[in-house]
Amino acid sequence: MSDPRYYQIICLSLFLVLGLSTRDWTLRADFILTAFASCLITQFLWTGCLKNISFTSSWPSSVITALGLCLLLRGNHPLTMAMAGTLAISSKFLFYSPWEKKHFFNPANFGIISALVLTKDAWVSPGQWGTSWWYLLLFLGTGGLILKKIGRWDTSLTFLLTYSLLLALRNAWLGYPVTVLQHQLTSGSLLLFALFMITDPRSIPNATKSRLLWSVALAILTVCLQQQFYRTDALFWSLFALSPLTLLLDRLDVSSPFVWQQSPLTPPTDHNPSLN
Amino acid sequence: MKLIVLSITLVTFFFSQIQPALAFCGFFVATADTKLYNQASQVIIARDENRTILTLANDYQGAAKDFALVVPVPVVLQKEQVHVGNPTVLERLDAFSSPRLVEYFDANPCQINYPAEERIMRSDAPSSAGAMKKARNEAKDLGVTVEAKFSVGEYDILILSAKESNGLETWLVNNNYKIPPGASKALRPYILTGMKFFVAKVNLGEYNKNGFNRLRPLMMAFESPKFMLPIRLGMLNAKGEQDLIIYILSPKGQAELSNYRLVKVPSDAEIPEYVQTEFKKFYKSMFEKSYERENKKVAFLEYAWDMASCDPCSAQPLTPQELKEAGVFWLDSPSSRGVFISRIHVRYSRETFPEDLQFQATANRELFQGRYIIRHPYRGEDKCEAMSAYQKSLSVRLEKEATTLAQLTGTDVNIIRNKMKLPSSSVQQQKNWWNQIWH
Repeated sequence: MSDPRYYQIICLSLFLVLGLSTRDWTLRADFILTAFASCLITQFLWTGCLKNISFTSSWPSSVITALGLCLLLRGNHPLTMAMAGTLAISSKFLFYSPWEKKHFFNPANFGIISALVLTKDAWVSPGQWGTSWWYLLLFLGTGGLILKKIGRWDTSLTFLLTYSLLLALRNAWLGYPVTVLQHQLTSGSLLLFALFMITDPRSIPNATKSRLLWSVALAILTVCLQQQFYRTDALFWSLFALSPLTLLLDRLDVSSPFVWQQSPLTPPTDHNPSLN
Repeated sequence: MKLIVLSITLVTFFFSQIQPALAFCGFFVATADTKLYNQASQVIIARDENRTILTLANDYQGAAKDFALVVPVPVVLQKEQVHVGNPTVLERLDAFSSPRLVEYFDANPCQINYPAEERIMRSDAPSSAGAMKKARNEAKDLGVTVEAKFSVGEYDILILSAKESNGLETWLVNNNYKIPPGASKALRPYILTGMKFFVAKVNLGEYNKNGFNRLRPLMMAFESPKFMLPIRLGMLNAKGEQDLIIYILSPKGQAELSNYRLVKVPSDAEIPEYVQTEFKKFYKSMFEKSYERENKKVAFLEYAWDMASCDPCSAQPLTPQELKEAGVFWLDSPSSRGVFISRIHVRYSRETFPEDLQFQATANRELFQGRYIIRHPYRGEDKCEAMSAYQKSLSVRLEKEATTLAQLTGTDVNIIRNKMKLPSSSVQQQKNWWNQIWH
């Protein structure tokens, strides 16, 4: 089980089960099934059309996307979820840079934004996790584990630090007590986003320096959208808006692209890792 | 044994809270140290996209001349944007959305079952609101600009903007407003984020002339991307927790809080018969218990429904005219999707709710209501085979009702059993299978 995607699937499934059983969510079984079906079927169809990627090596990513959608996206009709799943997976193949050999939109994020824009029926609930310490520790712990495996913890840390700093400065200017900052930072949804969404190594810049720069930009844009434009779903919009920046940053640097499974027996040219 | 609904009686519940309600979205400031009347404050927010009509309930019962109110608002309001509302509308909304008690009557197990008849009784729930007081204003320049000054109904209104909070505080004090200590610090974030201050007091001439005996709700219409309630001001002098009931009316669907968790109140619970006479007490304890279980950090959803219907109805749905009086302004447009109401009950204190409440409207049209069920046992003397089976299942059910109530309210289950006059020994015997063998 060297592939960290399996760990991520386990963690996200755990969160989903916990959320459904203890957090009073309105997610229904048909939504969950639709998310999985649409993601897996779309992945199957795309990999069938393209010769250089197989479904068997790439299905874990679809499952992760499906879990992400179940955790974050809400709607009235299962069709909304189906559309989100289909577009999420398709974005990996449609918005793919052959030069950088990677897709640059986080699939779940793309699915969420599409649902928010194209239907009147979708929403995200930033307050759904609340501020219970137990969940936060859980997210931190599991997130840390996975990030260590894929080596992208610097992205999360930079994002969270920059975000906290910006909020702290703003709160100090407004004269808020520290309890306000505490409350703003102990949001389960924020941690879930920071630890699991913006760390998808297939859709963030390759080089460390680029990633740090990108995380800082992400935090700045998020705070702007939240505080100036009062968007409750600012996190998703800023990730979406800055995704194309990934390509630009990669262009300025020549690090090798991330590969999910490094097998010593498989020559590198046989892998087309960026479609996972 | 079959349960037949012979009648359904609905008792609406009105929540009252014994707590000083100094302010919910602003200050209530008095000229004298008059005691404020303690009830849950109520607010209606009717919102479509960025357009909002905010209604502040006003159940002040002191002398009109002492009434005063300061509320932060996102924009300068002109006279046409402020309206004096109808207090009955709040009572209607309260009655329509309050938690309800439903009664069922067990049929005689020895007789043939009759088809159910529905009979709905309504009781009017009086509205609740915090008390408000104010004093007179005079214009003075401390970085404070009087952006607008006008009268609407029995109120004299000023819209102020301030450059800095000390100036605003001084100005208010100089104009005989009794500002709670620490006000300047609390006012600062609103000033810095460009909010204005809506200041209202009673125009005694108008008030006496029209023979009002209570102050009517204030309604304000404005356009702003901010969808929030500034509760932080109201916490200044609060010694404990304050209650606020918010009715959010939206064409889209359920509204929720974006910076706090929204939890549904426990609902669809079968509770013992005797609770019928103490429903208020029961609901209060249940709410308190649920609130404590969530570490006091969440808001509660008590009702979420499409206002065109109800099931069961604790009050008639509001007519389009009444909805308009509640602030609904989109019914006349051809693409109108009707009105969806979310009744959110927040009990907040400085420690547990440090941020102002921020809302978002979602497309969620799932229906929810706080509903509690009482099943009256059949008490006749008929004897037949079915009766003993009925009695057995009844004692199991009564025990379950007792444990449900104990779990919901945190009361000791034995106290409940006593009140229910449950023969505890026989119930216990039923529960323990070994008793049936050896005793």
